[in-house]
Amino acid sequence: MQTFVYTPFVVPECAPELRVKLREFLKAEMPDVPPARKANSWSVVDRDFSRALAAAGYVGMVWPKQYGGHERDPLERYIVLEELLAAGAPVGAHWVADRQTGPLLLRYGTEAQRMQFLPSMARAELIACIGLSEPGAGSDLAAVRTTARRAAGGWRINGQKVWTTNAHNADYMLALIRTAEGSQRQEGLSQFFFNMKLPGVTVRPILNMAGEHDFNEVFFDNVEVPEDALIGVEGAGWQQVTAELALERSGPERYLSSYALLTHLLGLAGPEPGELLRGKIGHLVAELWTLREMSMSTAARLAAGEDPVIEAAIVKDLGNTFEQTLPQSVQSLLQDHDMEGQTALNETLGYLLQMAPSFSLRGGTREIMRGIIARGLGLR
Amino acid sequence: MSEMRDMLANTAGSVFAALAMQSDVGAAWSVIMDAGFPSLLVAEDRGGVGGDWGDAFAVVRLAGFHRLALPLGESMVAASVLSTAGFDMPDGMVGLADGVAGEFHDGVFSGVLHRVPFGRHLNTVIASIDGHLLVLQTAGAVINKGSNLSGEPRDTMRFERTRAASASYNSDLRALGAFTRVALSAGALDAQLQMAIEYVNTRQQFGKPLSKLQAVQQSLAVAAIESAAVNSAGQAAALALDRGPAVFEVAAAKLRSNIAIGQAVGIVHQVHGAIGFTEEYPLHPLTNRLASWRSEFGSDRYWADILGATAARWGGSGFWAELTRRSDGFGDLSHV
Repeated sequence: MQTFVYTPFVVPECAPELRVKLREFLKAEMPDVPPARKANSWSVVDRDFSRALAAAGYVGMVWPKQYGGHERDPLERYIVLEELLAAGAPVGAHWVADRQTGPLLLRYGTEAQRMQFLPSMARAELIACIGLSEPGAGSDLAAVRTTARRAAGGWRINGQKVWTTNAHNADYMLALIRTAEGSQRQEGLSQFFFNMKLPGVTVRPILNMAGEHDFNEVFFDNVEVPEDALIGVEGAGWQQVTAELALERSGPERYLSSYALLTHLLGLAGPEPGELLRGKIGHLVAELWTLREMSMSTAARLAAGEDPVIEAAIVKDLGNTFEQTLPQSVQSLLQDHDMEGQTALNETLGYLLQMAPSFSLRGGTREIMRGIIARGLGLR
Repeated sequence: MSEMRDMLANTAGSVFAALAMQSDVGAAWSVIMDAGFPSLLVAEDRGGVGGDWGDAFAVVRLAGFHRLALPLGESMVAASVLSTAGFDMPDGMVGLADGVAGEFHDGVFSGVLHRVPFGRHLNTVIASIDGHLLVLQTAGAVINKGSNLSGEPRDTMRFERTRAASASYNSDLRALGAFTRVALSAGALDAQLQMAIEYVNTRQQFGKPLSKLQAVQQSLAVAAIESAAVNSAGQAAALALDRGPAVFEVAAAKLRSNIAIGQAVGIVHQVHGAIGFTEEYPLHPLTNRLASWRSEFGSDRYWADILGATAARWGGSGFWAELTRRSDGFGDLSHV
């Protein structure tokens, strides 16, 4: 038996050049941010930077040209993503649209919907958020209760989402909503894509424990959305959203959130550290290297049009564990005098110690991932 | 390449499964020789199969899966190294030594090879010392028999002023040995996982199969993740070996494999309960081999030290550039 089908990531010939060009772009265009903001940088929103990145052709890279894309190889896109994260670039504004919402529209959207939204996503002008969780539907996503009912010229939405990342920055939301009255669980759900400025949409911040405003509550009070806000097939929302979630589990953001801290640890260690530090760094490097290979393998399978559900869950769980362990491991190595002063190391460590618990919650909890893996093993 | 790999794997799977009952090392080895596995990595124009390191991983992994008690990976590596160094393939069983202590001058070796896998059965053993590859005939060696936890021979071989063929050698023989341990472990971890799944799906407690308990499901998911990490790391290291010198990648794969053994074996035993701890139940041959392989061709400490020193030399700003340069296969890959 083999639970993880390893697929070689055939490195595109242009990879070295692609990296050099992107690194030069980042040197010139990346805004000066406090050190801690280079960790977990896919949650840092900077519209101007995202637009500049898009103008240089690094957003919507794999989409067809008629929708504003660049028809690049998905593996080239993977290289761009990992370079951006390793550099700590603030990519939060366009990340969700580029990773998830754009591809969803390409797959399930009508021609008119694609023409309406994809070009502005590829320019990083349209920021998307994803409305999944509700007060009664966290890990149990099928318990979604927000409703959409047919109304004159479209649909009327009522209900509430919660933990919606970026809702306060987003122009549009992609939401999973119950369309069939009286339907249960996975049946009768549909996906809608609608403007956050519509009357009846209210966004309230929820500060996280680091004091940051990242996620929100979103209320829908008789929100009238047009007929074409429905994405894909009415009632097929569950199948659509499941396919969409597989895209978000195995990317480099699932193991690189704490990467900035490793660079600071190497800085502290210097070129010839003692045996204890060498050993600890060696362990971190072995994990990082393996995770990168696993994430790249999964990217190669996705690029081949396959649906590596188990592999993606494995990458996410292992990657989250790594990005949670890294801050702890670095903390365990520091001595009193290392902790003095506002150094990049200290600021990044402090930030990550606070943020790390969220890594195995967002995008599906550790327990849900392991449940998916257990099902793949034939245990459920 | 992948069609050939599938064929190889099919053959290897059935050959190794059939050898499970064969306790005579010589007889088992002749089956392996007839199947051509030891020359898998030797180029076709030198009489070998012409496979790549990914093929070697696939075959050695199956040896681990089927508990094959033979030094197959070692002989594959030895044949590859000998062939690359321009030697003809010696007859008989060729092994690989890791712990070498002694002196080599003017074509004569005096010293000790520690814990050589299947040493007593070997006709030839290769070792590296001070930039030399040594090809030693075992006939003159004094053998002190030893074994690993699974009862497989790990023999100390003493050579007194023994004439040895040699060639200059600047690669890392230990890394190639470590690669075989990653491949074996990948197979053995998958075999253990399979046994655990079958067991918890069958064994009833609390009026239902153990597999219906979420605690058991979540535990075994972790074992599967660890096994997946080793299988991936091994195959990625194989690709790196096909690109060129790959001490960095093998070091990472071996360390990751060692870590996984520590985690996964414990889980598999835990879900088996007491029966898995008995002599009668066939879990321990895998457990004992995995424990042995973890220590062989470099412990966690050994490879972590090399990786840590390498990363520190690359530095905080150079680390990513070097990591990606290596996987892009760009520039000089030899320096670690």
